[in-house]
Amino acid sequence: MRAKENAVADAPLPTPQQPPTAPGVHRSSFWSLRPASDRQAGDAVVSNFLLHAFAAKSCKRSLDVRYSLWLGTISAALLLLLTVSGLPLMFLHVPSVERAYASVKDIEYVITFGSWIRAVHRLSAHAMVIAVVLHLMRVFLTGAYKNGIGQGQRREWNWLVGVAMLLVTLFLSFTGYLLPWDQLAYWAITVGTNIASSVPVVGAKIRELLLGGRVIDQPTLIRFYALHVVALPGLLLLLFAYHMWRIRKDGGLAVVDLEATTAAHPVTEPTKTYTLLGVARGTSPKIVATSIEAEDTTVNSVPDLSRRIAIAVLGTFAIISILAVFIASPLEEPANALVTPNPAKAPWYFLWLQEVVTDTTIKLGAFTVNGALIGGVLLPGLLVVLLSVWPWLDRSAKTSTGVWFAADRRRQNLVFLLLVALVLALTIVGTFLRGPYWHFFWPWQAWPEIPGRI
Amino acid sequence: MTETKDRREFMMSVGIGAGLVALGAQGAAALRSLGPNVSYDPPTTVKLGMPLELPDGMKFLPEQRLFVFRSGKTFHAISAVCTHLGCTVRAEALPRPETKVVGNGELLLTHAFKCPCHGSAYSGDGVNTEGPAPTPLAWYELSIAADDGQLVVDLAKPVPHDFRLTIA
Repeated sequence: MRAKENAVADAPLPTPQQPPTAPGVHRSSFWSLRPASDRQAGDAVVSNFLLHAFAAKSCKRSLDVRYSLWLGTISAALLLLLTVSGLPLMFLHVPSVERAYASVKDIEYVITFGSWIRAVHRLSAHAMVIAVVLHLMRVFLTGAYKNGIGQGQRREWNWLVGVAMLLVTLFLSFTGYLLPWDQLAYWAITVGTNIASSVPVVGAKIRELLLGGRVIDQPTLIRFYALHVVALPGLLLLLFAYHMWRIRKDGGLAVVDLEATTAAHPVTEPTKTYTLLGVARGTSPKIVATSIEAEDTTVNSVPDLSRRIAIAVLGTFAIISILAVFIASPLEEPANALVTPNPAKAPWYFLWLQEVVTDTTIKLGAFTVNGALIGGVLLPGLLVVLLSVWPWLDRSAKTSTGVWFAADRRRQNLVFLLLVALVLALTIVGTFLRGPYWHFFWPWQAWPEIPGRI
Repeated sequence: MTETKDRREFMMSVGIGAGLVALGAQGAAALRSLGPNVSYDPPTTVKLGMPLELPDGMKFLPEQRLFVFRSGKTFHAISAVCTHLGCTVRAEALPRPETKVVGNGELLLTHAFKCPCHGSAYSGDGVNTEGPAPTPLAWYELSIAADDGQLVVDLAKPVPHDFRLTIA
């Protein structure tokens, strides 16, 4: 990589009429590409995704588990596991209101390995919510959405993509909740879609669009099914691909920028060549660039990065697969529009919102604002907007990019952690301390006996 | 405009434009197709049976999510749909019934209503007393069917709290 040739300007592009002239490139009917020159062949390698899933070199510090906690890789591994375990479930689940519950019951009790596959799917989904949130926290606390010294960095956009992926993950989880068509599902959807309908003006329309009518019925199930198995996973994969691509375009993880500014050997002589894999031979342009590709700071991505990814992915698979043997997935009574369970609780990661919608109905004289609007729409909306625009509001120095708890980001980190703690506290209250009629109970207090049906 | 487009560029932009319009139209059509034109909702006017066969006091009708109250020959109906987020409220019998002036007349309150989802509570006439519920429970219009004399509720027609149906 360090040939001492002089830089040569780009050769002029050959006109398309010329026959293929790139040396060593033969025709193959399976190749869509017929490079006509070294330049085109080189460009093809550069622009090929598969050949560039990884950079050739990786910065040692960006591989360090203490920096990234490997949370992004773990999230991706869980997405893969969800896809793999979701596929057999798709063959087995019948998205019809008459048969959905029975088919899930079959998966749970009749089909060989069915309960395990379902448990893997469910646990991965829960774990993915946790992993994605922790990943977001890591990125915030290390200031990794900030641009460092690299040119053309747009880390704030990648942060936005990340926030969008978190929302898609939550919505995927929520749509998956309805599919068993049990009591949990039915009432979670009731509450969720009623929150959507509390939006002024368009709320009722949004609810109708989600439900495919004005009541929860077959159109709702098939909508949530299509969203869950096609639309949202497709969207998530697109965002994921862009997320990965942006990391490469931004010069790797944010900690690499830190390395570049503090590297012991800043290089200013021509280091970068475009002599790739020997395809483009002979003359090759070289540029002067600051490089951190020194022996003591970088390693080859294969095997160092690929090994770490393999460890994270296999470890995630192993843990989830083993847990799934011991933790069974619940299946409540069949959906019953006539009886609301008591207490009726949302999935745990939405319980902080359930807690908030409970406490935010405001009365101003004769005018009452439903807590559903404040707690279910405005407050979470505000949080998402704040998360989205934060990279543009963060005025800390470039040197705190990729640093855990950087000194000049102390205040915003504290506020962020405070908000996270608040959400966590509300989640714990909603999960463990709420009983029938959403009354408050300490863990050691027994819940009153309330008949299941009237 | 200093530069003029040549024909190739013009055709290119026409092609891209047409492609975008086509995609946009597909997208809009796809989205619109998801908005239902016909509602298969259950009917909002429901026959509840012969009025004098209802028990005196309160009866919960789960299918309609409705409480029907009978006091002799006077009837009224209160919705069981919580005004906060639409869960079905439960009726809990009061240890001692109390009377309350509702509208023009007195009403004997035998129950209170509580919502299992977020802890809203309503008094026996449906007025929200506790929790996040923003408004009272709806009261619905009752009438007598002309053909067979059954009690009929119109779940699309909320009425004020002084509504009573008295039959002869």
